[in-house]
Amino acid sequence: MVDDAGQEISLPRPAGRVIALYGAFNEILDGLGRAEAIVARTNADSTPPRIARLPVIGTHMRPNIEAVLAQKPDLVLQMTGRKEASLPVDALKKRGLRVAVFHAASFAELMSVIRRVGVLTGAPAQAEDMVLGMEARLAALDAKVGATAQRPRVFFEVRSPNMLGAGDKGLVAEIIRRAGGVNCVTERAKFARLSEEELLRLAPEAYLIQRGPMNPAPLPLAKRPRLRTLPAAQNGKAWFVDERKYSRPGPQSIDAAEELAGLLHPELAAKTQAKHTAAPKAGARSKDRK
Amino acid sequence: MAERGGDMDAPGSEAGRAVCTAPAQNAAQRPCKRPGRSLALGSALLACLLATVVLACGVGSYPSTAGQTLLALLQALGLRAGDAVDPSLAVVIVDIRLARVLLAGLTGASLAVAGAAFQGVLRNPLADSFTLGVSGGAAFGASLAILSGIAGEAALAGEARVLPACALAGALTALGLVLALARAGGGPLSGLRRETVVLAGIVVSTFLAALISLLKSLDEESVASIVFWIMGSFQGRGFEHAALAWPYMLLGAGLVFWRARELDVLALGETQARLLGLDAGRSRLWLLFGASLLSGAAVAISGVIGFVGLVVPHLIRLLLGAGHARLLPASALLGALLLIWSDVAARSVLPGGAELPVGVVTALIGGPFFCLLLARKSLGGKGREGGA
Repeated sequence: MVDDAGQEISLPRPAGRVIALYGAFNEILDGLGRAEAIVARTNADSTPPRIARLPVIGTHMRPNIEAVLAQKPDLVLQMTGRKEASLPVDALKKRGLRVAVFHAASFAELMSVIRRVGVLTGAPAQAEDMVLGMEARLAALDAKVGATAQRPRVFFEVRSPNMLGAGDKGLVAEIIRRAGGVNCVTERAKFARLSEEELLRLAPEAYLIQRGPMNPAPLPLAKRPRLRTLPAAQNGKAWFVDERKYSRPGPQSIDAAEELAGLLHPELAAKTQAKHTAAPKAGARSKDRK
Repeated sequence: MAERGGDMDAPGSEAGRAVCTAPAQNAAQRPCKRPGRSLALGSALLACLLATVVLACGVGSYPSTAGQTLLALLQALGLRAGDAVDPSLAVVIVDIRLARVLLAGLTGASLAVAGAAFQGVLRNPLADSFTLGVSGGAAFGASLAILSGIAGEAALAGEARVLPACALAGALTALGLVLALARAGGGPLSGLRRETVVLAGIVVSTFLAALISLLKSLDEESVASIVFWIMGSFQGRGFEHAALAWPYMLLGAGLVFWRARELDVLALGETQARLLGLDAGRSRLWLLFGASLLSGAAVAISGVIGFVGLVVPHLIRLLLGAGHARLLPASALLGALLLIWSDVAARSVLPGGAELPVGVVTALIGGPFFCLLLARKSLGGKGREGGA
């Protein structure tokens, strides 16, 4: 088994004590039915609920090495999104821990990660099932959305007021595309810094504001007077979305794509929901709250 | 940080001529500048500033022609009726660009005047709002607000002024601390002495910097917001921020300008000031309070912007001499000009509509420029001594 840092990981037996330095792995392990293998969590990651009472070992970028060692994990999982995330990996490896590093900037990469995590934790069959389920849902979404000719220009706000938007590279960009939208930011990067003026120039027809650790308390679009002339503000297509669902590669990324398809193409949402029970109910959506 | 050569090198000491009590030790200094020169420079700066307001509104990533810019500005002033301009462009030119020009102008002027006042009161050529911990206090107040989520919750309730208010409160608290410490350190009879004020300022700002580091290390997710705020930027700011800050700026400027002559007297030194009948401690207190209001309000809306308060008064002193009646207004004008164009650069140099923090731009311009000033000054000083 080779991880995304190019290192070969071989375990004598499937890992039974796992620490994920990135929350999405906990969701994946839970989905694979291996949540009992999780022995500790980072400060910010307390889902699924059953891991909330586990010991805390620091943060995604700065885990406490001593606390990690104390849990005697046979596998540590890390996701590389930011450069800083690879720093603790070396420190942990030096102390003899097995650290697998993954990278998921697309659904294809995400599925590959799920398969490999399944192998490492002794749940390859469940991982295969999960991936097949995701593929089926993606195919259904493609079939549903592919027919629509009208693809709104979407802006995804990662952070404000020091504005950061989702660029055209990464899982969020693919979620937008799969959901039948076009990312109005064309920069080939995961994130794009941009000014309000540039945002007005891009004139998105739909505006997604993620709410979560990176954007703790964003203002609703209706309360941002300088963006009032945006098409998205004029036609009311602005929504809060859950950062954990959209910006973290994991099993819930597929929920994000389905939810967004429902938001962007309400005319298709009813059909999608009838066919796939896993699709979010209308009430579960984070609406533009005051 | 202490000045290099005692009274002789203090920035305000030339002002001795302005009040006609120049002690003999000032003889080595360059002659008083012609009075006509300050008028000419003042009007030139004012003309530049007026032209700048219009020109700076024409620069940005949203495509606009000069005609559209003028039309939108006239429309905003109510001089031109109708909707000749596309509404998005009107928002860009008036609500974003003009608002930022106004904010940058106010902030630049405030920082420059505050810098001139700090340097005059403390007779330290490197004094500014950093030295006194005022910037550090504002930065700490803002970091605390970001970290605790007060700013965020308030923002949800539609109150975008909480962050600036916390910053201003931090700035004034820091000043209070510095003054209390200076009083305690200077002994009961000494009043407010400049040496102890500078030392107390350095102590408080170092401690505040440590506290900010503590806040940053407590929460990784807030680091980006805190760092961005501390680096100083006008991104996402608008008229509502100007509305928040101008009363404090006006009050601070009033206090400083009202006591411009006292700055000249203070520059002569403790003994001379007392001989001239000035209560130096009291006068310093008011001036410091005024200058802190100015820089606190500036930091509150823009974050920490360095070098404006340092470079601008120095440059004006080179051109006009150190009489504060001329130095202060000229510094205000030049400070406004400098920061407006720095902000224009900050929002237009990067491709793809990305922005630089304006504090980075002023540091990039100000650092080398300040070195040049210092080199020129020391070379010039040697030349004059050689000729005497």
